[in-house]
Amino acid sequence: MTTLSTGPDTTVNTHCPYCSLQCGMKLQPGRAAGRPTLEVLPWAEFPVNEGGLCRKGWTSTGLRGSRERLTTPLVRDRETGALAAATWDEALDLVAGRIAGIQDEHGKDGVAIFGGGGLTNEKAYQLGKFARVALGTSQIDYNGRWCMSSAASAGTRTFGVDRGLPFPLADVEQADLVLLVGSNMAETMPPAARHLDRCRDNGGKVVVIDPRVTSTAERADVVVQPVPGTDLVLALGLLHLVIAGGHVDTEYVESRTHGFQAVADSVAAWWPERVERVTGVSADELRALADLVVSTRRVMILTARGAEQHATGSDTVLAWLDLALALGLPGRPFAGYGCLTGQGNGQGGREHGQKNDQLPGYRMLVDPAAREHVAGVWGVDPDSLPGPGRSAYELLDALGTDAGPKALLVFGSNIVVSSPNATHVEDRLNSLDLLVVCDIVMSETAAMADVVLPVTQWAEETGTMTNLEGRVILRRQAVAPPRGVHSDLDVISGLAERLKAPITFSTDPEEVFEELGRASAGGKADYAGISYERIDAEQGVFWPCPSPAHPGTPRMFTERFAHPDGRARMHVVEHRGTAEPVDAEYPLHLTTGRILAQYQSGAQTRRITDLPDDGAFLEMHPVLAARLGIADGDPVTVSTRRGRLQAPARVVPTIRHDTVFAPFHWLGVNRLTNDALDPASRMPEFKVCAAAVEAQA
Amino acid sequence: MSTPEINADINAGINADIDADLDAGTSDQQDGRERLVVVGNGMAATRLVEQLVANGYPGHVTVLGDEEVPAYNRILLSAVLEGTHDRDAITLRRGDWFAEHGIDLRLGSRVLAVDRDYGDVMLVDGTTIPFDRLVLATGSIPTLPPMRGLIRHDGSLHPRVHAFRSVADCEGLDEAVTARPGSRAVVVGGGLLGLQVARALSLRGLQVEVVEATEHLLSRQVDEAGAKVLRRSLTKLGTTVYTGARVTRLVDPPSGGSVTDDGPVGLQLDNGFVLETDLVVLTAGGRPSTALARGAGLEVRRGIVVDDTLTSVTDGRISAIGDCAQHGGVVHGFVAPAWEQASVLANRLCGGDVTHAGSRVVARLRATDLDVAVLGDPVGADGEVVEVSNPLAGKHSRLVVQDGRIVAASLVGDLSRVGIITQHYDHGTVLGIKEHGDLLLPDVVPTPTVLPDEAEVCACAGVTAGAIRACTSLEHVKESTRATTGCGGCANACRDLLAEKLGAPVGGTGGTRPHAAFTTA
Repeated sequence: MTTLSTGPDTTVNTHCPYCSLQCGMKLQPGRAAGRPTLEVLPWAEFPVNEGGLCRKGWTSTGLRGSRERLTTPLVRDRETGALAAATWDEALDLVAGRIAGIQDEHGKDGVAIFGGGGLTNEKAYQLGKFARVALGTSQIDYNGRWCMSSAASAGTRTFGVDRGLPFPLADVEQADLVLLVGSNMAETMPPAARHLDRCRDNGGKVVVIDPRVTSTAERADVVVQPVPGTDLVLALGLLHLVIAGGHVDTEYVESRTHGFQAVADSVAAWWPERVERVTGVSADELRALADLVVSTRRVMILTARGAEQHATGSDTVLAWLDLALALGLPGRPFAGYGCLTGQGNGQGGREHGQKNDQLPGYRMLVDPAAREHVAGVWGVDPDSLPGPGRSAYELLDALGTDAGPKALLVFGSNIVVSSPNATHVEDRLNSLDLLVVCDIVMSETAAMADVVLPVTQWAEETGTMTNLEGRVILRRQAVAPPRGVHSDLDVISGLAERLKAPITFSTDPEEVFEELGRASAGGKADYAGISYERIDAEQGVFWPCPSPAHPGTPRMFTERFAHPDGRARMHVVEHRGTAEPVDAEYPLHLTTGRILAQYQSGAQTRRITDLPDDGAFLEMHPVLAARLGIADGDPVTVSTRRGRLQAPARVVPTIRHDTVFAPFHWLGVNRLTNDALDPASRMPEFKVCAAAVEAQA
Repeated sequence: MSTPEINADINAGINADIDADLDAGTSDQQDGRERLVVVGNGMAATRLVEQLVANGYPGHVTVLGDEEVPAYNRILLSAVLEGTHDRDAITLRRGDWFAEHGIDLRLGSRVLAVDRDYGDVMLVDGTTIPFDRLVLATGSIPTLPPMRGLIRHDGSLHPRVHAFRSVADCEGLDEAVTARPGSRAVVVGGGLLGLQVARALSLRGLQVEVVEATEHLLSRQVDEAGAKVLRRSLTKLGTTVYTGARVTRLVDPPSGGSVTDDGPVGLQLDNGFVLETDLVVLTAGGRPSTALARGAGLEVRRGIVVDDTLTSVTDGRISAIGDCAQHGGVVHGFVAPAWEQASVLANRLCGGDVTHAGSRVVARLRATDLDVAVLGDPVGADGEVVEVSNPLAGKHSRLVVQDGRIVAASLVGDLSRVGIITQHYDHGTVLGIKEHGDLLLPDVVPTPTVLPDEAEVCACAGVTAGAIRACTSLEHVKESTRATTGCGGCANACRDLLAEKLGAPVGGTGGTRPHAAFTTA
């Protein structure tokens, strides 16, 4: 365990355990009525949230001392099928032995790893190294694939690098116009909304594009409600009008981009009335929106899961990027394009090697120079590193099949709640010879495991995260973990040792971070100049930061983009439509999302007693409810080609007539969603599928 | 391609010609790839070629366009005329795109004839181009009214008279308008195109009159009541409309003088009126361009008759798409069906087996300050009619409903629900019994109610209205409940609750504001 930089009863500056905003907070350990307590206090100086937190943050210590916490390894008894307590040595010996046996029989790729976007940078890094060096498997990917991968893919192709926001979030306040495409930030990252409000107080305008009038939309100047899955066409339609009206920033396009003419010609086919037919957004609204966009210089286009979680998600982001580039936005002060990443370490989690095709520092696994550099840091032969493996959903889809892995180790992910087409994923997990889950509580996925390993949560460990701005921040340990609980780093190290890995795996976060810095040096996400000390002193450091003397990079693209010639690439994209169009049998669009009081699969938040847990519901418009004979609160059945869910109706006038919405924090909702994948990002189509709804008799 | 025998005959028959005339043809002959010739470079042809490229069509493609300019989006010409669209912004595909994809694009190539026996097409300059597969995407040509004095001896239109089909027509009219600011124009034809041109000219500062031969405007798309509403709107916008009137001849202008090339002209109507004007624009319909097909002996009724595979019923090697094709007894004049046909044909040419089942048409008038949408055939479709009409407000909406589904609609003057109505129409959604009517009525704005104490006001911190009411000031709210400190969205609600209690407004800024715009959907 690391030494605490502060005494056991002192306040520790750290960050919230949940979303990508990584709000600054102070944790104050104490005692009351003879029991240890841990209190959340505001950290007013941290600029992202300035002391503000949502109820998830204020109640985030709710799992401390909770009987829901796992405190001993559990091993499933083959006779009874029940999970029984085991010692750490017993559990790790068992897992290592089974891994060795499976790899002997099925080869190295017989064992797979599934990581998470909530893991610290140190864990994500060690996990990737563990897969490639200790297991020698190519089969590793993570749930971040289902978060911002479409934006990552599009950003990489357009700019040559993928960092969620290329500017600090507070820059929003100085923008003239902010377009939020498929973001409900007021609910999913509430303290971020202060920057929107200040933007408006400064005279700026906010546009929200969402099939629902969300809490975020309620504070916007303009709300546009397209048919789910048509954000791409909306972008093409806006670009059409920008070009038609002669509002292209020609000098910028000529000096800083490639590919404009082909894009311009391709959008000549997207006149407003055609856009109207596809998106359901009237031509007049589109024209008004285009007028707004071209009337000002500091335009910020921010996409989130609503635009990205589609089988056309990366093309959708490319279309918005084309618009941003045509207007000359990226690199202009207080303007540009950004992706609002979702998971706590959604940014850092994708940079350090737990993706199927990447090595630390955002290096590509197929690049010989990258392999050589990273293998050098690790002290192994570059040729010993496996090549790229399957992406997240494809990995799960292959589990237990003839060609697929027979064992899966899960770190920081509740797959059976968060995967699309979840019934199928459950089947795949059930077909495994070995499922090992590391978690802090008995999540739905842990409950299926052969071995469950209890691990530390955020306040009990030290590690860095990289927030949605690309700011590397430090979560300091505030309290000791419960007895019997170890860090994921300990699990990785313990297994590596038992597997006779050629190198040792440190369990000291700061040591791991220093190694990560060396491994990332020279890569796109270069952390080489970042240290725990600097993070403390500077309220986080923005990557790339190649040396200790480098100030970090809060704002990217001011002079050049990351492609070798410094220019951004524009891309012609076509509208392909949703993977599963509505029809007579399934006439409604089902979309999914999050609510304020819960986080992701709910494994943590559903167990915190101070957070309301009312279960899933189905939001629908009064017009649809009347058509189906449903009143607010009535139990309804929503079904798709993949599954059925029973839930109460929530009848609200803020959603499209032809669309229903369910929050995905509970088991069952993702049994409905579609596993069609984006060809570039391998993102599943979480955000739209065809559904039928009926009142329950 | 029908049979190997036919193919062999073709090759034997034309080799000599190819060698003489066509280098490209010769090389194609040698590489054995299928030779596809597309006659036309309009919107249907362009979409076909795009889809062929996207689907990886293995053959050699030659595109013959009779216009000299690259393919462009024809339906935006009225916007170019109006000045809201850059001329350059309507280009669909340039020459370099065709070259990049190995497509032989020949602009300014007018086809004289199709020879089915030889399997080639001949251009007006005598060049012959052999084909294994031929696609006719020849579009439509404007119908000129039977009007004396219209055509001059050399076959050209009178210089004061303009057609409006091609970019050249558009540029010619644009020049005429620019040359005579503030002049007068008569638009012949009160259909979609006519109204678009009329509005464009009005916005360019011309005094515009519209002459429509049938009893009302948009007679093929809207009912009489809708047309009346439209006519009133046009009149309010300063455009005079004459319906039930045909133009019979160009005559001397009533103000004196005689018809000259550059002076005003008179337009004699069959009701006795003579309209004096500086410009005449002919928009009264078009007809499928079928001369090539007829000449080649293909079955042609209104259009070139094709089956569900878009193949001519006469010759399996030849297909037709777009405005020149007649499928299922229907000839469309719209882009969407043409593009659907292009996609189907591209799929088949690439070995697929998709068929064309016909198209749903949504026609939108693209004219500033005139709101019209027409879905399907609201004049001819069978079904029950749900109608809301308010001529005083310039609105007339009509839905034709069968078994709960909207099968056709016309919306005049109120397009606030056009998005969702189009979605229902396109998807054949079965709606509830009151829904059709409700779709045509404005939303009822709910009156604000007093929040009960247990209602949650601050979602971030989970604070109820009662807890806010228990506070004495906004600062007190922040300290004791943490409301307003998360996303800040409840600040106004908290102020209202405090004001309600204190009986006075509470200062401060931020929080929710009314929306400037909402999509109704």
